[in-house]
Amino acid sequence: MLKKILDSRASEWVDERTHLVRYIRFHLIDYPTPKNLNFWYAFGSIALAILAIQIVTGVFLAMDYKPSTMPTGNGYSEAFDSVQRIMRDVGYGWLIRYAHAVAASFFFFVIYLHMVRSMYYGSYKKPREFLWLMGIFILIFMQAIVFFGYLLPWGQTSFWGATVITNIIGAIPVVGNWLLHLVRGGFSVGGPTLNRFFVFHFLFPVLLCVVVLWHVMALHVVHSNNPTGVEPSKKNTIPFHPYYTVKDLFGVSVFLIIFCWFVFYHPTGFGLMMETDNFNPANPMRTPSDITPVWYLTPWYEILRTVPNKLLGIVGMVFAYVCLFLMPWLDRSPVRSARYRPVYRQVLFIFFVAVLVLGYCGHQPVTPMYTWIGRSAAIVYFSFFVILPFVHKFERTKPLPEDV
Amino acid sequence: MKHAMIYMTLLCALAGISAAQAAETLPLKHANIRLDQTTLRKGLQVFAGVCMGCHSARYVTYKDLMDYPEIGITRKQADDLRGEHPLTAALISGMSPADAKVSFGKVPPDLSLMALARRGGANYIYSILTGFKHDPTGRIPDGNYNVYFPGHRIAMPDPLSWLDHDPAETKGLEQQARDVAAFLTFIADPHQNKRHEIGFWVIGFLILMTLVLWLLKVEVWRDVKH
Repeated sequence: MLKKILDSRASEWVDERTHLVRYIRFHLIDYPTPKNLNFWYAFGSIALAILAIQIVTGVFLAMDYKPSTMPTGNGYSEAFDSVQRIMRDVGYGWLIRYAHAVAASFFFFVIYLHMVRSMYYGSYKKPREFLWLMGIFILIFMQAIVFFGYLLPWGQTSFWGATVITNIIGAIPVVGNWLLHLVRGGFSVGGPTLNRFFVFHFLFPVLLCVVVLWHVMALHVVHSNNPTGVEPSKKNTIPFHPYYTVKDLFGVSVFLIIFCWFVFYHPTGFGLMMETDNFNPANPMRTPSDITPVWYLTPWYEILRTVPNKLLGIVGMVFAYVCLFLMPWLDRSPVRSARYRPVYRQVLFIFFVAVLVLGYCGHQPVTPMYTWIGRSAAIVYFSFFVILPFVHKFERTKPLPEDV
Repeated sequence: MKHAMIYMTLLCALAGISAAQAAETLPLKHANIRLDQTTLRKGLQVFAGVCMGCHSARYVTYKDLMDYPEIGITRKQADDLRGEHPLTAALISGMSPADAKVSFGKVPPDLSLMALARRGGANYIYSILTGFKHDPTGRIPDGNYNVYFPGHRIAMPDPLSWLDHDPAETKGLEQQARDVAAFLTFIADPHQNKRHEIGFWVIGFLILMTLVLWLLKVEVWRDVKH
């Protein structure tokens, strides 16, 4: 049926005027794909599905949400009240909000797995460097978006999280205080901050969509890598449709089961996805005993926190991203996949463990023990990028297959 | 790659276990609540008769108590509860926050979201309500010493103390604490029963759809040789 529609005279008419049909053919139908992609390659499509969920639920939430800190008595605000109105009175508002909150966590979970895949199979290497760069941009965009979004319920964690994170800006020499004032729209996090964060939380996803679209279009120029890291011959590639459309639909479906299980049975994600203290209204007079960001931001936060000097902490965190950006040029081995790179494989596992340890410590209260564990993990994190350019010199790679 | 998965799963599990341990400094008692109509109505009675002396539930109205099928009180019962207040008014305590501050030193927190706003939820509420004891060091007066409260000094005087004087009434105390914990759990997320019910059908459908998609995938991939 699809073929019939695309071959119809109506499609021809449209295509002559906008090339729409040939874009669809190029990107969604004929796109040649290696036939040996495993389940790790499903996370891109799943991430795209989550982006769609976030846009749809987000638009409906915005219809009933009020970005206002106007007090409504007993420490509550219009923003907090409007969220509760969505949860209680708006038809299926609870479903929309829980889906939005749970999907935010899943978005990061899936993107992190997508990155693990990329690092393991060497998908960041020539000619896919640009793809990798845009991927890191997408990660940074997402982190900015959740940061803006987390302020909106105007709960305790919202308020204090935004206060702590914006404080970081103040440590920048010379322009720090000016910039801090500009971002907050005042001397402290307050009504103007909430208003601008609401606008940013709407604006940035639009920009994110542009980068994501570009990311996908660039992928279709350089084509997918595969678990062997070897370029497939023509006979070992298959068209995207129907092979990968059905396979990815299956992957998205499996994801939806897990996602819905959380939405319907554990919407707060055991306090990890929606934090307990955020059900208390924001109170600038009561500082929580420990302020930690949501789990998906903790590795970066921990790098920032373990450095004793605030400014150096920021430098460290920025450098953590810079290292990721440089990955395609730091790794100089001609072999892509870690399947054939025994040394890289070990080093990479240690790197992954370091990121998990950083993330775990970043979620704990500051104690000397966690500080030292976190600091060691940060050193391991950076050591990975220091070792990377030299790995190929002493690594004996296993023989590569002729074809996929 | 398989090894990677195993490592990751193990690490996540470890992190989860230690996070759960770190979350509660004092082991809370298990409330073992059920959100059925009998329990919730009894919980409402305790809430309206005891808690509402000082606390409010700003997100719940008298009309909600009629409309939520899990509580579903009659119009007559709602009228008895609300007195002079309109039916659409929220469950606001008769004691003003300013008066409460004078009497107890702080404004009693709103209870609409209490079951979500404290670690342990219903278990926390149940434990606090049954945790008023005599301070062994004698520093904190009876009625303000609570074994489950961080730091043990709680501004709220034992609200169910009138049940505790007679040892025979201990069971009544436990039961009332459990009922009100159930009520507060319900009002913190009043659509939870509906959510669980819909979830069953949604996930059931998704499992079926996934099976069909898997069969479709196998069929489509039949001609691809590996």
